[in-house]
Amino acid sequence: MSETVTVTQLNTRVREHLNQSPGLRDIWVSGEISNLKRYTSGHYYFTLKDQGSEIRGVMFSGSRSRIDFEPVDNMKILAFGRVDLYVQRGSYQFIVETMRRSGVGDLYMEFERLKARLQAEGLFDPARKRPLPRYPRTIGVVTSPTGAVIHDIITTSASRFPADIVLAPAKVQGEGAAESIVAGIELLNRHGVDVIIVGRGGGSIEDLWAFNEEPVARAIAASRAPVVSAVGHETDFTIADFVADVRAPTPTGAAAVILRDRKEVRGQVDNISLRMNRAVAAAVGEMRARFELADARLSPRRASESLDVLRMRLDDLSARSDRAPWDVLRAMGGRFAVADARLSPEKALSDISGHADDADGALDRIGMMVSHTVDLAVRRMVSVGERPENAVMRTMARSTDSLESLGERLEGLNPVNVLGRGYAMVTSADGTVVSSVGDMDEGDKVTIHLGDGRAVAEIMDKEMRT
Amino acid sequence: MSDYAEEVGKMGFEESMQALEDLVRELENGGIGLDRSLEIYERAVVLRNHCKSILDESERRIRTIMESAGAVRTEDFRMD
Repeated sequence: MSETVTVTQLNTRVREHLNQSPGLRDIWVSGEISNLKRYTSGHYYFTLKDQGSEIRGVMFSGSRSRIDFEPVDNMKILAFGRVDLYVQRGSYQFIVETMRRSGVGDLYMEFERLKARLQAEGLFDPARKRPLPRYPRTIGVVTSPTGAVIHDIITTSASRFPADIVLAPAKVQGEGAAESIVAGIELLNRHGVDVIIVGRGGGSIEDLWAFNEEPVARAIAASRAPVVSAVGHETDFTIADFVADVRAPTPTGAAAVILRDRKEVRGQVDNISLRMNRAVAAAVGEMRARFELADARLSPRRASESLDVLRMRLDDLSARSDRAPWDVLRAMGGRFAVADARLSPEKALSDISGHADDADGALDRIGMMVSHTVDLAVRRMVSVGERPENAVMRTMARSTDSLESLGERLEGLNPVNVLGRGYAMVTSADGTVVSSVGDMDEGDKVTIHLGDGRAVAEIMDKEMRT
Repeated sequence: MSDYAEEVGKMGFEESMQALEDLVRELENGGIGLDRSLEIYERAVVLRNHCKSILDESERRIRTIMESAGAVRTEDFRMD
């Protein structure tokens, strides 16, 4: 006796049969997408086909988050899921729970394999990473001559530390791209650049593939110049990124990490200028104090007294000897037994102030200095046939004058003195000296330093002198 | 000093900044004579001016490098 069922009962029965069939669930199906429609509900409906056959497919919106690409027509995929029957229509379909792009699966495996191998070889070792030069003169860039990468790098570097840019035009995707990138890295190394950026814009894993190829990784590792990678978007990682000395998220980021901000560097130079002026002013101040202390003892009256004593001794010695006067002086120099190194006026001054309370000692030293001066003068006298006294006095006067003028020259450099004359120094909020109107904007708060203090001001308006 | 200026002229920014920093530190430490202070200061001014001129020199060259018949040559880069 034959059984009678309704259509609904039949379809339901087939559905149950399909659902319980082990070969029709938890399986991977390879095929190509066509007739793709995405509904506002977020569900995707499409046909999955190969050369000989096709099946309706659906991926519900809840499964969409499991895949990291947007399905499109003609895309070859591997779909994971189960066969089901839509009872109302009596049509059967494949319910896709997740999918992979076929071909890409192989690329991922290749990527992981090369990554593991190079890692084991130590190519990604942090110890291999070289520091970037602080102030590179020339940056090499390996990228497409027409892409956004070179454009972004040129634009970003304009406001930064000035460096030349040398572009090695390269094919960054497709057949021959890896070879082209390798050639670019080698060419720039032969040319001699301080640092190299290897980059390209965002794209699919196939687009970025050249940067996952071993020859590129090897060329980066072998590069004499440190390499900064800037490949794809911030979320894309390529083998090139792992081998590079520094990975930058974008080409703009690469330029920024290599070149310091020009304003910031200028601030550093200004700071060091300020420091050296302060230091030299301090040195002058200290020397002036010593000089003044010593000056009291080196007054012309004291000096001429000493000279008188020396002259008496000279006369005395001369009277007892027929030798030429300079020989007598030489002999006298020997009695003072003074090392040449100790004979500079400056050293004598510092010795004098160091023994300020030992007046006799100090006078002895003045004597040494004078004797040296006399010695020098006599040598000159011999050469020009002049009277010794004049030469001695002139030499002494010159020594004193040169010390004085040295002090005055340096005092003139002291920025505090300049401020005292009504000039002002302006510093920005971070304390760097502002030397150009271009370095401030309306609304900026600046500090004005005058000789006797400082005041904070706000920039209301500015005008650049042309 | 002109010999020194010539020597500095050949130095890069980094080298100059390092030399400048070393000299200024020596100045700041003190304990050196006035003559030496002045000598250091004069050298420091040469270095400082050199660093400034590198920074203010806004002309940078953008070139394209290529190899033809085994020879490396460069030409000015023109953005499309």
